[in-house]
Amino acid sequence: MVFTQQLVNGLMLGSIYISVAVAFTLTIGILNFLNFTIPALYMLAGMVGWSVSYYGLPFGLSEPLGWAPSLLVGITCSVLASLLVERFTYRYFKIKHGDSTEHAIPLVSSLGFLLIFEYAILGAHGSETRGFHTPFTDLNWRFADLVISIPQVTSLILSLCIVVGLSFMLKKTRIGRALRATAESPDTATLMGVEVRKIVPIVFVLTGLLCGLAGSIFAVNYSEVSPYMGDHVGTKAIAAMVIGGLGSVWGAIAGGLIVGISETFSIHFFGASSAQITVWGLLLVLLIFRPNGLFGHNAIGKGKF
Amino acid sequence: MSGYLSGLIGILGINIIFAYSIYVTAATGQLNLGGAGFQAIGAYSCAVLSEMFGLSIPFLLLLSTIIGATVGFLVAFPILRTRGVYMVLATFAFAEIVAGVILNSDSLGGPTGLVLSDYIETDVIIWSTIGVVVFCFYLMSTRIGLAMRAVHDDEAVADLLGVNRRAVQVGAFAIGGALAGLSGGLYALYFGFVEAQYFNAFLSIFVLLYVLIGGTQTAWGALIGASFFTLVPELLRMGDDWRFFIFGVIIVVMMIWRPEGMVTRQAIDRITLKLFPVVRRHG
Amino acid sequence: MADPILQISSVSKNFGGVVVLEDVSFVVEAGARHALIGPNGAGKTTMFNVISGVYQQNAGDVLFAGQNINDIPSRKRIALGMARSFQNIRLMPHLSVTENVMLGQHSQAGILDLLKPIMAMPRAHDKERAVELLDNFGLEAFQGRSVSELPYGVRKKIEVVRALMANPRLLLLDEPAAGLNVAETATLHDFLVEVAERGVTLLLVEHDMPFVNKLCDTVTVMNFGRRIYDGPVSGLREDKNVLEAYLGADA
Repeated sequence: MVFTQQLVNGLMLGSIYISVAVAFTLTIGILNFLNFTIPALYMLAGMVGWSVSYYGLPFGLSEPLGWAPSLLVGITCSVLASLLVERFTYRYFKIKHGDSTEHAIPLVSSLGFLLIFEYAILGAHGSETRGFHTPFTDLNWRFADLVISIPQVTSLILSLCIVVGLSFMLKKTRIGRALRATAESPDTATLMGVEVRKIVPIVFVLTGLLCGLAGSIFAVNYSEVSPYMGDHVGTKAIAAMVIGGLGSVWGAIAGGLIVGISETFSIHFFGASSAQITVWGLLLVLLIFRPNGLFGHNAIGKGKF
Repeated sequence: MSGYLSGLIGILGINIIFAYSIYVTAATGQLNLGGAGFQAIGAYSCAVLSEMFGLSIPFLLLLSTIIGATVGFLVAFPILRTRGVYMVLATFAFAEIVAGVILNSDSLGGPTGLVLSDYIETDVIIWSTIGVVVFCFYLMSTRIGLAMRAVHDDEAVADLLGVNRRAVQVGAFAIGGALAGLSGGLYALYFGFVEAQYFNAFLSIFVLLYVLIGGTQTAWGALIGASFFTLVPELLRMGDDWRFFIFGVIIVVMMIWRPEGMVTRQAIDRITLKLFPVVRRHG
Repeated sequence: MADPILQISSVSKNFGGVVVLEDVSFVVEAGARHALIGPNGAGKTTMFNVISGVYQQNAGDVLFAGQNINDIPSRKRIALGMARSFQNIRLMPHLSVTENVMLGQHSQAGILDLLKPIMAMPRAHDKERAVELLDNFGLEAFQGRSVSELPYGVRKKIEVVRALMANPRLLLLDEPAAGLNVAETATLHDFLVEVAERGVTLLLVEHDMPFVNKLCDTVTVMNFGRRIYDGPVSGLREDKNVLEAYLGADA
């Protein structure tokens, strides 16, 4: 029974990682860019959501809002922040240096933005963990000893739907094909009539949406947010992405669940801080011996710095 | 020297040495996002050796350096199997594992950390820093330095020109490990206390940023980068959070304005030409 | 008779299922100016990569000055006396002209040379040699310059000078005249004649036939990974296989 309960908890935790891992994998797969702002975008949705539900909109525009509109504002904020990152990291460098962009440059800029977002929130709200209350915090299903939280199941299903929808979009729609062509080779895509400059912001909007949703789901499920919430999820999502293989959406799903489950088991059997060793050890071994992950492509991310 | 000033110089020296440890690998074209892991190894080695064997200070620092170098050397082989983003992630993973191991072992104090009874004054740090800076400038001015920069620019061609790229890359990791170990040892002895939380992912990120923002083309980069980002926030006298916010803004602006770092070869050429206009340049 | 400087015997190379070189043999005599020509995709650059050790051939032998070098890694081949240039110039972008040229000397530096702070010493012996060689070829004006700001033709020459710093007996040049205008091609010709007169054997891949006619005395022609002609340049015009490869089957 303990085993099943841990498995369920792991799956729920993994569902959060999935969305963030997909955000990572999309930017790497399509733009060959390791976007370090992703954890901050995730955190922004939660913290901005909390702030709006506690203080109301800034400049006295409104009374404190309910949980749903607050989170909506939070998600919007993530998307806008993501577009800001696009404007000042990726777009700028692509235009200036073309394909030969040294990959380290956007990476370093994104680290800069990570600091900007994280410390802006820390400066504004301090480092405390804040409670985020929703009406259905304690809704659970119980089967014998097994406890399954309804919001968590809903969010697992929601994450899966988003990701499935996304991979459908990548496969079937025109934008999806353009995105995949850009991933293959930006130069060829341009020759084929894909407007790469218009495609790139789409990736960042998707990144913002995925992170914003994941942050909101976390806020609802765990009833708390903190300026540091992104750090934990970010590192785990990176691990999930690598396990699944860089650039593979389905790999990110598998990786997210694997990381979630191995984390809960590791915590259960070896204590709280052992998860770090398990997850990163697994990751390091994979990076070295199977760098393509479970589903990854060969060519992605090998570019020289 | 006032306490404040000597404290500032102490942390500045440690940061400079730490930055050079990352610089040496970055100059050969490898990004090490696991600096905190290497520094933690140096700091904990120093703390444990000091408590267990009561060694003298020079010995402690020497051993921290040697242990750092050994770890760097050994880690280089698996890490060098990876490339690009994968290497960034692999080094990052390495640092996380080091932190995880420290947090989980009671003999290393776990989350509570270790207290040292030995301590050093600021002058030890000053002399170590001068030594490291001189060493790195010397290294970059030798044929080995030239080979390192060649491997940074084009590994395949460097190989065909007879450069042993494997040796250069592994050597860079070993030297990097040594310098990170030394900076860790100095940190432990200077503050008299080590705890795993200090050696976190952000420390790795910061030190890599010092180097990349400073510039990897010349040995000046790490010196200027580390000094700038240690001193400027002090001068601004802001709260901790807003200090890092400004740090982030500076990074983004720098990447737009000078993506190759603050100090580039061309900048140095221009300065030399201004200072010594008559010297016929050969370099 | 002395050994030929380079002997390629029955070399084959395939990538996956694609055969790029099939049983190719030819010989370059010491002191020769030998060209390796053929239509695009004939396998010329692959042959260069096999000779310099970038690729390991699947079958056959490469002999340099009588010594079988199949098992000698690419890094150590330059020390034997073979240096090469590249189809798309590959100078180190962040190194100055002098530094690039000095890098060509790397294979000759002993362990103590490695430790000398040559860059900090304005009159270092190694640096003097680089400057001298640049002087010899009329490139002294570019010494301290950054490579990226120089014209294409100059960069091509600097790449050759870099290769010459290794004191090679055999110089492999991959399309040296490609992308050059008429005037630049003429200078390159004189430049290479000067190089050859120093006793360096030249082996070049080239598309510019007038350039080859003027510079080279022997030639190997390849098509679809096979050797179809090997002999003096003057014999090209009469060779049926060559005409067929270049002009089509009805020629």
